[in-house]
Parts: sequence; C-alpha cells; structure tokens
Amino acid sequence: MSLFERYRNTIKILAILIIISPLFGIVLAEKVNYHEPLDVAAEKLHLHELDVYHTPFDDYQVPGLPPTIGYIVAGFIGIGVILGVGALLAKRMSK
Amino acid sequence: MHIPDGYLSPAWCVALYIVAIVYGIVAWKKAKKIINSEAITALSVLAAGIFVAMMFNWPIPGGTSLHFVGGALSGIIFGPWLAFFVYVMVLTTQAIVFHDGGVTTLGANIFNMGIVDVVVGYAIYKLVTRATGNTRRARIIGAFLGGWLGLAAAGTMAGVEIGLSPSFPYGIRITVPAMAIWHTLLGVIEGVITAFVIDYLYERKSPLIEIAMKVAPLAQST
Repeated sequence: MSLFERYRNTIKILAILIIISPLFGIVLAEKVNYHEPLDVAAEKLHLHELDVYHTPFDDYQVPGLPPTIGYIVAGFIGIGVILGVGALLAKRMSK
Repeated sequence: MHIPDGYLSPAWCVALYIVAIVYGIVAWKKAKKIINSEAITALSVLAAGIFVAMMFNWPIPGGTSLHFVGGALSGIIFGPWLAFFVYVMVLTTQAIVFHDGGVTTLGANIFNMGIVDVVVGYAIYKLVTRATGNTRRARIIGAFLGGWLGLAAAGTMAGVEIGLSPSFPYGIRITVPAMAIWHTLLGVIEGVITAFVIDYLYERKSPLIEIAMKVAPLAQST
C-alpha cells in the first residue's frame, strides 16, 4: 500500500480547496485591496523588497496563464513539491 | 507574516538563521530515533495542508486580510520538535518556488512561524488540557487559545525584528503596535479555525492523529 493511500481523502479535499482558492487569494483580496499587517507597517517605514532572486512562479503565478488559473496551477505545484519531498524522504527512511 | 528580503538587517537575518539551525539540530536529535516513513508521510501531508490553507486570504472589514498560519495546529498535533519540520518544508517551498517570504529572511520566518507560533501554541494547549483534563471541551478551548495567542506572539516577534533592524532605529514604535494589535485581533479567527480542525481530526480519528500519538510523545521524552 502506498504511504499516501490512507490520506487519499485528505489530498482530494486539498485539491478542491486549491481549485476554489483564487476566490480568496485573488478575487476577494483585490476587492479589499489586500493588505497584511506586515504590509501596513512596511509602508509606514518605507521598506522595499530587495530583488535578490527570481522564480518563474513569483506570487503564485504561472507565466502565460491568467491570474486565477495560474494561482490554481501554483497551488498544485506547491503541494506536488511538498508531497514529493515527503515521499522521497519516506522512501529513503524505509530502506 | 512572511518577511520578504530587504526588510531585516543582515545581523537579524544571520542571528535568526543561527537560532533556527540550532533549534533544528536539537529537533533532529530528538526525532531521528523515532522518526519513520509513516511519520514523514504524515508530516508532509500536514505541510501540504498548511501550504494550501495559507493560499486563502480572508478579507477583513477595514482593509486588511488574514491567512491561516497553523503553527499551534502543527504543534498540538506533532509537538514542538516534529512540527518544526512541517514549517521548514512549507516556508522553504514558498520562498524558493513562489518568492513568498525572502531567502535571506527564511531563518526569521522559520523562527516566527515554525518556532514561536508552534511553541507558544503548544504550551498554551498543554497548560489548558493539563489543568482541565484531556476532554473534548479542554481540547477545543486549548486549541482556540493556543491558535490565537500563538499567532499574536509570532506577529509581535516579527514586528520586533523589523522594528529593531538598525536601518530603522525607531521603527519598533510603528512595527510592534501594527503587528501585535492586528495579529492579536486576527488571531481570534486563527484560534477558531485551529479549534475546529483539532476537534474534527480527533473526532474523526484521523490517521494524522493516530501517527502523531505514536511518535510525538517519544520525541518529547528523548
């Protein structure tokens, strides 16, 4: 039995959540002019983000895709990376 | 809550990397004797859940927003040592793949969310359940308080770090109230979600709880 077999339902729920996530991560966030408390403090101190490195998936977006679809694809990439690393480590541990 | 590159002075970045690494070494020493493939799988499933939960920004009237952080939730399920690895997985993926939180500030973000939030949330939950018995009601109250105050502590700590960065010597007067007040207010929602999820997982006898009950007490006692 695959190590993730018993989490099949959990992973299905996560997939559904990713599909609806742009509603909260993009649509509603834009409506309230998304501002975390950290952004509020940073704005008052005139702090600016340093451009240290780049990734093709900046801010949970995928080049060439509309923001909502990009957000969904980025979500699947994210859990793919996390579960992939987990599976590799678990496999190594079971040897 | 995710501090980007450039918000902290190099001294804070280095210091908090060192703290996170030292904590990680201790956590690994405790984990390596009892960790197995089943536990790693469970930790990665929880990490995936936290990652997805962080993609939900809940708009709050007044122009701010909140996303679930889940430090207390992870600490309550897996204890303060194993939960650390959940945040290493989540925050490293977010920083490297999605540029959410900086690479120079990754140590600080792991410290705030993977240590402060986890340890404070876990400690409060344990205090409540030890004082009132390990009943369903105690679990719900403990998880609510742990989730709420864990987030408030982590937010306040992030405010202290940014405010005390030498480039902004008086920044603490702005950053600490902004971060502490907002995270204390928004932490109520984090507490409600933490309590709901903990209750759901325990009542449904989730495999996460089953595995955590096998390994987490051993990690604490080693």
